[in-house]
Order: sequence, then structure tokens, then C-alpha cells
Amino acid sequence: MIQVRGLTKTYRVPVRPPGLGGALRSLFSREFREVKAVRDLSFSIQPGERVGFLGPNGAGKTTTLKMLSGLLYPTSGELSVAGHVPQSRAPAFLQQITLVMGQKQQLLWDLPARESFELNRAMYGVERAAFRSTLDELVAMLRAEALLDKPVRNLSLGERMKCELIAALVHRPQVLFLDEPTIGLDVEMQVQVRQFVAEHNRETGATVLLTSHYMQDIAALTPRLLIIDQGTLRYDGSLDELSRRVAPERRIVVQQVLPELAGLGFAVTEGRMVATVPAAEANALIQRLLTLAPLVEFGVEVPPLEEVIARVFAEGRA
Amino acid sequence: MIRGFRMEVALALLRVSLLTAMQYRASFMAEILVGGLSAFGVAAPLFLVYARVSELQGWTLDQALLVTGFFLLYNAFVAGLIEPNLGAIVDGVRSGALDYLLIRPVDAQLLLSVRRVAPVAIWELVAGLIVVAVSLGRLGEPSVAAVALAALLFGCGLAATYGLWLMVICTSFWFVRVDNLRFLLGAVSDAGRWPVSVYGRGIRIALTTVIPVALVSSYPAMALLGRLDFSLVGGAVATAVAMLVASRMVLMRALRSYSSASS
Ligand SMILES: Nc1ncnc2c1ncn2[C@@H]1O[C@H](COP(=O)(O)OP(=O)(O)O)[C@@H](O)[C@H]1O
Ligand SMILES: [Mg+2]
Repeated sequence: MIQVRGLTKTYRVPVRPPGLGGALRSLFSREFREVKAVRDLSFSIQPGERVGFLGPNGAGKTTTLKMLSGLLYPTSGELSVAGHVPQSRAPAFLQQITLVMGQKQQLLWDLPARESFELNRAMYGVERAAFRSTLDELVAMLRAEALLDKPVRNLSLGERMKCELIAALVHRPQVLFLDEPTIGLDVEMQVQVRQFVAEHNRETGATVLLTSHYMQDIAALTPRLLIIDQGTLRYDGSLDELSRRVAPERRIVVQQVLPELAGLGFAVTEGRMVATVPAAEANALIQRLLTLAPLVEFGVEVPPLEEVIARVFAEGRA
Repeated sequence: MIRGFRMEVALALLRVSLLTAMQYRASFMAEILVGGLSAFGVAAPLFLVYARVSELQGWTLDQALLVTGFFLLYNAFVAGLIEPNLGAIVDGVRSGALDYLLIRPVDAQLLLSVRRVAPVAIWELVAGLIVVAVSLGRLGEPSVAAVALAALLFGCGLAATYGLWLMVICTSFWFVRVDNLRFLLGAVSDAGRWPVSVYGRGIRIALTTVIPVALVSSYPAMALLGRLDFSLVGGAVATAVAMLVASRMVLMRALRSYSSASS
């Protein structure tokens, strides 16, 4: 569904020397600074996949999504989405995709969201009957009945995002590009948006590429993960695989303090005893733990996601 | 070349822009009131001048009023459609708000050109129609051919004006700040309220070709007065087509280099 090969985007940003003199000079000779936002990115995504695009601010996520949706011309590299070259912006291509940007809005600010939906219906040439049933479906999934007739400016951020999602989906796109759709939302709303995206993907089989810097979005929503940092792809695979590869150790946590465990390498932290060992040795340690204290309550932990990903970035930058 | 144009889309866009304008009822009413006063005020300088002279470069008051009438109609078009839409492009470029327009399967030029209307322009439309009707009433009815010629010239003039504005606005994709250029354009266009023959030769040529405001005011008036024949039509159509084609090319070029604002 999506093929990306050697994708690179370099922005040329005019440099303005400070002050009036500088402004005058820049009228005649404009200097440019190059910002390499995306460098030599390659990946491909199958129809119906849900993929999370993770990276810190400025990593190049938005730039990549904009190129995939045809808004920006790549500096170099090859792109194919739903069988089209995005930057030609052919109507047949645009009919099949949608883009939701958490930090921008497409809804008409002063009018009820319903008007924006109707406008999109006209622009995408959706038949009225099909439009009505799609709308009913989306509204039911998002529990947004009460929101449609209020001016958008009177909606809360979370309510607005629900309407943004509806507006973006009335034409039943095959490919969804979601750029930080949960940004700024409270936890409850984040959960609702995630559930909606998952359910929509199950029902329609559309391909989803979602960017976020919330780990929970990725953990809950996308079986496959692309990690990007400084415009470069650092990882492509599943979350489990990532933990295994980058975090090969396990943490064994005993819920009480037993001094005799010190000999096995356990140390006391916050009223518990913790030992960190390579994953391969975890089982052996547990056996020894159980022979020493058969009734002890314990758990095995994988290091937290944040830590794992921080390590990916550290590796890439080193 | 123009892909995805549908009447349905144009109507839907007009609908939301009208609804938006009416959302703020107080300012809507105030605008309408002020617009009405200023629209009818456009003819005032003319009366001041003709209080002293009875003829200006071969134009009587009634004939000059005809020019003013067309100038008002032209202003209605600029203030009602061109200015709000093309002006919004500049903001869109600066804020990156064009993103959501450019992903629609509809011709970008259509979306950029008719997504807003300023209802206040209705006054200039009304005032223009009244002024044209009154002065024609005093001058006598023109022939059908004269009316057709006037309409054709006026239409070409509007098309050329639109093209010119679009090209000026498109420079915002490269230089981002063009407000001043817009004001300059507005100020120069104001020259159209006087019969073009009051100006010197150089300015006259500029007002018919470079900034084709004479094409929408003086020429249609001259057509109605029977002072022009169809030999002008070729030039007018050529100007309009050239402006439309050139501006479309510039717009497409500009959209290519649009790099939406960060975030
Ligand atoms: N329109 C633009 N012009 C110049 N530089 C930009 C523009 N948009 C983004 N950038 C730069 O490109 C890099 C990647 O930005 P972006 O794709 O927005 O990252 P992310 O979405 O991962 O936070 C950043 O360094 C950013 O400053
Ligand atoms: Mg971003």
C-alpha cells in the first residue's frame, strides 16, 4: 500500500541577519540554511496494517506524512501510496487518503461541524445516501451525536478532535495518515481516540500510519513500530521484538525484603528486592529463587518502553 | 487542465462562506451599513468636478457617471470575491493552513478562489447597477450590439483583473510578505473611476494592459455610448486569456514550492 525508498527532504530556510541593515541586505542576497528534515528513509506498509511512527520532536515525522499525502515534494527518493505518486496530487489518489493533523484543524471554526462534513461530502463527491450511513456510523463509534450542531469554536479540544476525525473519514479513505491525533487531549479522550482508530481499522481494513510521541498510543494501537530520529529510520519491527533486541535483560522483582536473597544478586529498592539479569539467565535465576524461598511472590519486568526507546536513540546517535 | 471542477463544490463553498459571514450578526449589519454609505459616496467627487465644468475631455457628467457605475460593479467583484479569497491565500501560506485545501480532490484554484464571499460587496453591486441604469436613462437606450460589446469587455476585464491579482498574490509563496503590493494594486485600480481619456497616453496604456482597470470601467462605458466597435474585442479577449493562463501557471508553480509551515 505504501512504498518508500530513499526518501529525503531538505528544507531551504532563508537566513535573515538581525536588524534593519540585515533585513535590507537580505533583500538583495538571500542566504539559505539547509535543514535536513528526512534522510534516506525506506520502508513499506501492507494494506490494512497499523503502523506507529515514533520519534522525538523535530524527528521528521510530520514532514514524512506530508510527503506521503502529497503536500510536500520530496527532495529525492521514491514514493508510492495506493499505486500513485503522491506529489502529483491526482484526484484519484486524494480520494483514497486522508490526513489528520492534531495541531491544525480543517473544521470551519464558526460553523457547526455538520457544515464541514457537508462541504467535504461535496468536495469528495460522496453520494448523499452513502454519506448519511457513513456519518451515522462514525458518529455512533465516537459517541458524537451531541456535537454536530454546536459551532466548532464552542467545542472542547477532545470534542473537536472527534469531529476532525469524522470530517477526515466521510469519504471512506483507504489510507489514514494521522499526525499526533491525541496531542493535548486528556487521558480519557486519548483512550477514546485510540479505541476509535483501532475499531475503524478493524471495520474498514484501511491502512493506518500514525505518528505520536506518546508511547501509549503506539503500545495500544500499532503492532508495528517505525522509530525515526533526526530524519533517519532507527528501527522497523514489532514492539516485542524491539524490547528483546534493545533490552535483553529482565528485572525480577520480589515483593518483600528477604536478606538471604542478597546472595543471588538481589538488592533492596523501595521495600522490594530487585535483580537485573540478561534475559537468557532469567529462568535459571528464578529456579534458584524458588528453591531458596518457595512461597515468595515475585514478578518479571521488561524495562519500561520509554527506557527502551531512549536506548534506541542513544545507539543511533553514538 | 482544470480537474475536479464541480458546480456542487462551488455552491457548497459559497454556502459556508455566507453562513460564516452571517455568524457575527452585529458586525455583519455594521459592515452592510458602512458599505452602503461608501458605495454611494463613490460618485461624490464626480459631482464636485462637474459642478465647475460641464465637460471633461469629451465626457459629460452623465457619461462619466456611466464609468463610475462600471467601476462600482468592478469594485463589488474585487471586494466581494477577489480580495477576501486571494487575500486569505497569503495568510494560508504563512500559517500553513493551505494543507487541508491541497489534499482535496478538487482543483486547487477553484478552492482558493471561491471559498469566501464578503456580503458587504452587495452594496457596490446595487449602487453600480443603479448608477448605470440612471445614467443610461438620461443618455438614451443603447443598441443590443453595444450592450453585448460592453458586457464582453467587462467580462474580459474582470477575468484579467482576477489573473493579475492571483499573480501578485502568488509571490507570497516565495516572499511571504506581499500586503504592500496588494495595497498598491488597490490604489492604482482606483484610477478606474475616471474616464480613461483624462490620463496621459502612458498611463492610459498601462490602465488597459498592465493593470486592466480601464477594461472594466471606461471601455464598457464607451461601448454603451457607441464610441467603440468590435475591433477591440480581439485584444480584450487576448488580454483576459493571457492573464488567466499566465496566472494559472504561476499558481501551479507556486503550489509546487509551497512548503507548509512547520508542525
Ligand atoms: N516548513 C518548514 N521549513 C523549514 N524547516 C522545517 C519546516 N517544517 C519542519 N521543518 C524542520 O524539519 C525538521 C523536522 O520537522 P517535523 O517533520 O515537523 O518533525 P516532527 O513532526 O517529527 O516533530 C525540524 O528540524 C523542523 O524544524
Ligand atoms: Mg510533527
